[in-house]
Amino acid sequence: MARGKLLVIFLMLAIICPVMTSCFDAKEVDDMGFVIALGLDKGKTNALRMTLQIAKPMAGDNGGGGGKDDGLPYAQFSVEAPSIYSGLNMINTSASKQISLTHIKVVVFSSELAREGLGPYLHAMVRGREFRPNMPIVVARNTAEEYLESVDPKLVVNATKYYELVYQSYKYTGLIPKVEFHDFYLSSESLCKNPVAILGNTAKFQSVDEFDLKDSTYLEHGRSSPFEGDFYAGDIPALGGSRSENIGLAVFDGDRMVGELDGTNTTFHLLCTGDFVHSYWNVPDPLSEGHYVLLDIKQSRKPRHHVEIVEGKPVIHLTFNLEGDLLSVQSTIDYEAGDNSMILESAVESYIIDQLLQYLDKTVNEFQSDICGFGTHARGLFTTWAEWEAYQWKSKYKDATFTVDVNFKVRRPGLILRSKSSVTSESGSDTQ
Amino acid sequence: MDIKKRIKNLLFFHEPQMEKPFILKEDSSSDGRDNSDIEKNKEGSRKKKNEDLLLLKKLEKIKLTDKKEGSDKEEKPDISKQLSENKRVIEERFSIPLNGDLIIRKFDITVKDSVIAAFLIFFDGLVDTKVINDDILQPLMLLSNLDIKSDGENILNYIRSHILPHNQLKEARTHQEVIDEVYFGGCGLYIDGLDTAFTADVKEFPGRSVERPNNELVIRGPQEGFTESLRSNTGLIRKRLMDQKLITENIIIGRRSRTPCSIMYVKDIANDSLVAEVRRRLKSIEVDHIMDTGELEQFIEDDPSLPTPQVMATERPDRVCSMLTEGRVAIVMHGSPFVLVVPVTSNDIMYSAEDQYLRFPYSNLLRIIRILALLMSLLLPAIFLAITNYHHEMIPTDLLLAILSAREKVPFPSVVEVFLMEISFELIREAGIRIPGPIGPTLGIIGALILGQAAVEANIVSPILIIVVAVTGLGSFAIPNFSAGFAFRILRFGFIILSAISGFLGITVGLVLMGLWMVNAKSFGVPFVSPVAPRTSGGFSDAVLKSPVWKQEKRPDYMNAKKGRKQPHISRRWINRDVDSNKSDSEDNNG
Repeated sequence: MARGKLLVIFLMLAIICPVMTSCFDAKEVDDMGFVIALGLDKGKTNALRMTLQIAKPMAGDNGGGGGKDDGLPYAQFSVEAPSIYSGLNMINTSASKQISLTHIKVVVFSSELAREGLGPYLHAMVRGREFRPNMPIVVARNTAEEYLESVDPKLVVNATKYYELVYQSYKYTGLIPKVEFHDFYLSSESLCKNPVAILGNTAKFQSVDEFDLKDSTYLEHGRSSPFEGDFYAGDIPALGGSRSENIGLAVFDGDRMVGELDGTNTTFHLLCTGDFVHSYWNVPDPLSEGHYVLLDIKQSRKPRHHVEIVEGKPVIHLTFNLEGDLLSVQSTIDYEAGDNSMILESAVESYIIDQLLQYLDKTVNEFQSDICGFGTHARGLFTTWAEWEAYQWKSKYKDATFTVDVNFKVRRPGLILRSKSSVTSESGSDTQ
Repeated sequence: MDIKKRIKNLLFFHEPQMEKPFILKEDSSSDGRDNSDIEKNKEGSRKKKNEDLLLLKKLEKIKLTDKKEGSDKEEKPDISKQLSENKRVIEERFSIPLNGDLIIRKFDITVKDSVIAAFLIFFDGLVDTKVINDDILQPLMLLSNLDIKSDGENILNYIRSHILPHNQLKEARTHQEVIDEVYFGGCGLYIDGLDTAFTADVKEFPGRSVERPNNELVIRGPQEGFTESLRSNTGLIRKRLMDQKLITENIIIGRRSRTPCSIMYVKDIANDSLVAEVRRRLKSIEVDHIMDTGELEQFIEDDPSLPTPQVMATERPDRVCSMLTEGRVAIVMHGSPFVLVVPVTSNDIMYSAEDQYLRFPYSNLLRIIRILALLMSLLLPAIFLAITNYHHEMIPTDLLLAILSAREKVPFPSVVEVFLMEISFELIREAGIRIPGPIGPTLGIIGALILGQAAVEANIVSPILIIVVAVTGLGSFAIPNFSAGFAFRILRFGFIILSAISGFLGITVGLVLMGLWMVNAKSFGVPFVSPVAPRTSGGFSDAVLKSPVWKQEKRPDYMNAKKGRKQPHISRRWINRDVDSNKSDSEDNNG
């Protein structure tokens, strides 16, 4: 049939048409250079100094640690450019592969840049479809370039895994905030919430001899010696592993960074936002001065926020439900027994309330920035959006007052059912 | 103007000019009536006897004989009373003396004082000579006290009822009948003075005995497979499906080869119009020779351009039986160890015989695995291509970097790589089948291991692609139906091209087109993707996952069987302690 033949010809043409145009946006994987980390600093010669870490192929053979020359699994590029995308173009003049941002794992801003405001960069990143909405945002206390250079992943074979894991540590340390780029951006434009970023820095100590505590915040917290969280990034007396440190958070007001919080306050920040999962805490022993009780504290329920507006000022009531396992009782007091455990629980509750109020006080008085997002709960008190806008939550937050309720329960004593002091020949007691 | 018209003609919808295709409808009365009338005429006398189970098999044979007489009745009886005339006709028809293996045995039947000439014809090699000697020649030649009356008809009866002790003796009125029988391993006996010839079934074909099926292997379940002989195949089915209403209709296909075939169905389950359609299609085939059901399948399938098979070819009698009980129709052909079953749906080609014999959680596991296998076999290389060419953001960074490193030294674009590996895989597969037996496994190892390894080391393909192609190959072997495996392998290349052109968009377009193609197809009047589309009523419990055997209460709705229900709502009556298990079962069958 002529019709059949014509149909065949027509179909063949129809098939050939897309083939002609085909593959125009196909890109082989090996033609692309995948950026795994992007650092943005203030430039010397231009607005921006961009630092890119581009993953190296694992050189085919054993996959053990990537490139052979410098042992790093990535190549680092720096360029000074007026904007992010022009920087990419400039890097492509020397890099053989087309730069792709689809697998970017972290974006690092220097605090200098952050204090000037991140608005323009955030907009570019939200608009560009290659940026993932779930990548973490880090503010480096010095320069982003230095921070990225100091990343030398020792524990994982490749850098991407390092970045994927290290910013998840809030789940078990509570020392860094949970930050995702999309939330960060939304908070920065929100009427009721301010963003935070992970605080990072290069470790300042090169050897044990240099260790000191002059930048620790333990005195501020009223302690005689620092706890694990009483540091800003870079100040921890520790060696080994990667030289980049992430602890604490950068407080923003809108897109502008206004201050830093140390690790301890970050833990309470996580508690207030409900992102806290679990971490190990030292709590002063209520019955034995100078000793500590170690607890593994979990959030048994998300915190409840109740916001009222009294005489135009926010009054915020917070309820926390926490539970903990005993990890160590240095004083060997029998906290497993009924009465003692009640004492411990109430002591922990009052300790947490005390610390929480200190933290909230900082956000109100020092930064005047609602980084916990209490405004989201306040919105409901207004009948129209216009009223809410007119209220100007962010400017009223500095007048906020807080009441805090903590319910804490000790759930498990660990594998020791009854604390007992160890017996020595002098029948003296030993700690732990 | 002409061109304009043509383009218009091409682009706009036209009512299809073709005649109405066969659709299997619920109500089979209108289609089936004419057929049943014919049958009534043909078999009127034997209907009463049909009840007796013990006689069933014999009756079946007689019925078939009757039917053959009925169907060939247009041919005039052309056997002459003159033996020499008959012999001349036979010699001419068989091209004697050119034909070397036809034996014409002339002999005399001695009766008291008279001598009646007779001759016997058969093909050497198709018959059991011992049977001919003992049951045909011996009685005729040795029984000398034959009391012959002058009436020819009576001689006929007398020989039939007294002399020839052979169990399958038929009378033939035409030479053609005799010739058909002789070709099918019978012998023809002409006796002087009779215008009727006898044919006796003495066939003993050289051929395999019943063996394990080679291609449809199961672990749990019967281990018999069909052979190349028609009667042993129908026998295998009948042996397994002991149902009084199981019908074996004979039909001859091929103008010259005259290959005997049988249509089998369960009379009070299978839809009459379906049986009539099968019969109509088979009878309408005009071809000189037909050798195998593989050819027959192509003659009777609905849509030759559909990639998937629309007829089930199986070498397992138990499979055929269980499908017959669902109301399907089987076609057995002489010379083919594969029996065709129609109609089938897309689900059926994903089933294995074992599914029914395993406990339902096990067979469901197998089914899910098979669905995964199908998807992998169809889509895996395409998805790999789409991701590596278009959607880099979709895979974990580590995997991406692994692919990147592996591809770093490969000189070809990944499409070329995929085609290279797919083609070499097909090559290994084809070579593995064609290669003489003992070398086969070695070649597989050479092909799979050494070639793959060497190709990777020579940086012609990336190792990750070898994994993709190997998993795809495994997937295609896990599809239980041989033809369906082919279908998906061919379609896979289409998907590879589509995904190379436009990534996931191409794959999606391909899936939509394929879906349309499948939904449009019918197998013997049954929509090919039922019971998914069109969705049929509930209660059918064997669609994708299987429910326990005791819950499979209904036959597939799309079969429109005469009896919808296989078992009552409660088939495990023992769970109810009050029910007496000895109570009649008959009420159960009337669902």
